[in-house]
Amino acid sequence: MPLLEFGHINFGYGSGELFHDLNGWIFANDCIALVGRNGVGKTTLLRLAAGTLAPQSGEVRLKQSVLRSMKQREIAKLVAFVPQNVDLPFSFTAEQFVEQGRTPFLKMFGGLGVADRKAIERAMGLTDTWSLRFRVFNELSGGERQRVKIALGLAQQPQLLLLDEPMQHLDIGRQFEMIDLIGTLRREGIAILASMHDLALIEGVFTSVWLLSPDEPMRQGSPREMLHPAVLEDAFNCPPRHRPRLVERTRNRMELAI
Amino acid sequence: MAREVAVVQASIAREGGQELRLRWLLGGLSASLVLAMLVAAGMGAVQVPLRRLVESALGMSTLSDDQRTILFVIRIPRIVAAALVGSGLSVSGLLFQGLFRNPLADPYVIGSSGGALLGASIGVFLLPAVSIAGFGTTALLAFAGAIGSIVLVYWLASVNGRTPVVSLLLAGFAVSTMLSYSSYFLETLDQGFGQGMHVLSSWLHGTIGQPTWPQLAIVSVMLGIGLAGSVPLARRLNTLALGEEYATHLGISVQQTRIAVILIGSILTAAAVALGGLISFTGLIIPHILRMILGPDHVRLLPATALAGALFLLLADTAARTIIAPAELPVGVLTAFIGGPFFLFLLRKARREVLS
Repeated sequence: MPLLEFGHINFGYGSGELFHDLNGWIFANDCIALVGRNGVGKTTLLRLAAGTLAPQSGEVRLKQSVLRSMKQREIAKLVAFVPQNVDLPFSFTAEQFVEQGRTPFLKMFGGLGVADRKAIERAMGLTDTWSLRFRVFNELSGGERQRVKIALGLAQQPQLLLLDEPMQHLDIGRQFEMIDLIGTLRREGIAILASMHDLALIEGVFTSVWLLSPDEPMRQGSPREMLHPAVLEDAFNCPPRHRPRLVERTRNRMELAI
Repeated sequence: MAREVAVVQASIAREGGQELRLRWLLGGLSASLVLAMLVAAGMGAVQVPLRRLVESALGMSTLSDDQRTILFVIRIPRIVAAALVGSGLSVSGLLFQGLFRNPLADPYVIGSSGGALLGASIGVFLLPAVSIAGFGTTALLAFAGAIGSIVLVYWLASVNGRTPVVSLLLAGFAVSTMLSYSSYFLETLDQGFGQGMHVLSSWLHGTIGQPTWPQLAIVSVMLGIGLAGSVPLARRLNTLALGEEYATHLGISVQQTRIAVILIGSILTAAAVALGGLISFTGLIIPHILRMILGPDHVRLLPATALAGALFLLLADTAARTIIAPAELPVGVLTAFIGGPFFLFLLRKARREVLS
């Protein structure tokens, strides 16, 4: 039984169609990298999975329930969406930020209980952000902020984590930390769908790749199949004169992976 | 496992410590408020010693008729009014700051007070404000005016769900100026009694005059509704601070929350304006100072803001009516003197932090 299912999704903003009859399944132990050129709809697909956008036709199903008929609170207990950028107007601490992940579990007038505190502490423990808890979120470094954002998602105790460009703006050391964190999350049994910009970071971390290209059905396969120069050249619309560069990059990737 | 338990316990203990701090602050504010009310009741052209007040309250002695009149007709209504107005302005400031996701929002700055004033002026010029029904209608019109202006400013100032400081201030300034001067326009249409003119003039200066007990009762009810309505909104404002998308994802209905904040904030603004007129910056200073002490959590800020706002405006109003006695200063002048520089300081800071 898939955890999340995209069934015959059609979606577009305004007149342009972004997805036509898109299909895909996410199972419990999947760790999927979502790739494709800029503007192809990676973030949109994550929003469809999070229930903050609804498809124009077709259905997204979460544990076989139609997502658009579910309450957002109920969705947020199963699926956590970690956006690319957060812009906080006040100086909330990292812990107060992560506490917001418990919102779907709180009653109208209720505060945080012991179970909520435990979930927050565990989320911050897994992301190694517990020591940052009294720091002001806006004063954290990019890598720290990224981990605290993921901690908010984990405080929702989700079964599926949607990450929008988790590696962006991270230096190489922080990227390796993020790779370790994704490994930790997989061991926790959380399924992951992450949009990825840097193809170099996919292999050895993600179990499969979803490749979006405009006006074509989404392609799915193992990283080894999908990160092939011929596939990428087409999907990313690389000019042919850059083929040697692309081949070199993907070959390096293969060697690194071995 | 043991570590985990210890950590959770530590977290709960720290939470307990913060709780204690908040409790101390609330206790301190309540006590100061009561004390300030007693002291303020004794102050003025006719001095009534604090001891006499306490004794008479406990039935141990009686006050002279003159003292009684001064206290119950003049001073106590005014003291209660100052506390209500301060509380209403501060809490609506807190709500609007959360709504606009901008620490510089304030009912005066964003034009909500101006809207309430225009609404109230219509009431005053069309209806006799001294009657209970008249004042009730005036308050209702102030409420409508406050809602209208905040919706307008929000619509004018928001860019992709955010209200940048500059557009918020400009839209607020323009709307507020237009609305305040529209009230002057109403004044010229007012033929006859001069009653309306007097009321309007004291509103524009931000004077807490001589409210009657029925007027205070109406405003108390509005404030009560406003405060009670703010309680479930406070936590939502915390989540809303993460941005519209995040809040929606976490199960907060953003649109409903916004409408609720506008309604509740406007009730509070209208309550304050109906008694005190245009009193500037109170809604800005009080939440800001408390945010420095308690942090940005709206749940913790709400009760503290309600109390501190009442205390602040009571002190300011008492100062306004005594520092140049026997003449009186409109309290709006005083809050402008205190709040203006404070606002500019924040704006300067915001230029570095928010706008950069």
